[in-house]
Amino acid sequence: MKQLLAILFLTVILTGCNDDAKSLARMGFPEVPKDLVIACPDLAQVDPNTTKLSEVVDTVVNNYSTYHECREKVNNWIDWYTTQQKIYNSVK
Amino acid sequence: MFSWIIDFILSGLPDWLWPAIALGGFATYSFAAIIGNFPAFKPYAIFIKPIGALVCIGGIFMWGGAGVTAMYEEKIRDIKEKIALAAEQSKEANAKIETKIVVKKQVIHDTKVVIQKELVESAAKIDAECKLDPSVPVILNKAAKNPVGTVTVDVQK
Repeated sequence: MKQLLAILFLTVILTGCNDDAKSLARMGFPEVPKDLVIACPDLAQVDPNTTKLSEVVDTVVNNYSTYHECREKVNNWIDWYTTQQKIYNSVK
Repeated sequence: MFSWIIDFILSGLPDWLWPAIALGGFATYSFAAIIGNFPAFKPYAIFIKPIGALVCIGGIFMWGGAGVTAMYEEKIRDIKEKIALAAEQSKEANAKIETKIVVKKQVIHDTKVVIQKELVESAAKIDAECKLDPSVPVILNKAAKNPVGTVTVDVQK
């Protein structure tokens, strides 16, 4: 009988640690795609001793590409935020 | 913790218990009222009647409480279902964005490769017709350098 009471008591106490009891009905913060949390890199620099225009253009092309990637990242952040906000607001 | 244990015990009780207790209390009260008419049982009836009334009132009170709890539990279940659905929608939305990122990154990269290839083909011609002044890379590098890279903005004020 004592053992049964001890088991019952422990069950009641330990069930209190259950996640379900802790987070009765709480919505977690939505995950963010991994690519979005990588910071944009610095722009590439031209070799200061170069006299070739082609090398300068090559760096400019690289930097344009970096800009386009960063622009997409910002646009995707906006997209992510708008979508997640809509989903969050639907839970009421 | 204590209130949770009480909740746990109360939520484990069967639905019919509180109405049964209320009914039992009412039956006891009625029975005491009837036997109170007989002089031999009157002393017992005086004692049983308030107990029956208290049990009946207590049973009705707890029955109502259980109803309110059931209503809130239903609401919590609804919200939990909505949250689970929202979490699923959130994952789907993230998967779409991730796909978009991969595709767009690839397009940007491919475009860069094509342009660089064109540049390599025309490099000799470009360099033959134009010689840069040494100030050009310096000016360009100044523009490429992040102007806020070394600036610390104190937002505490």
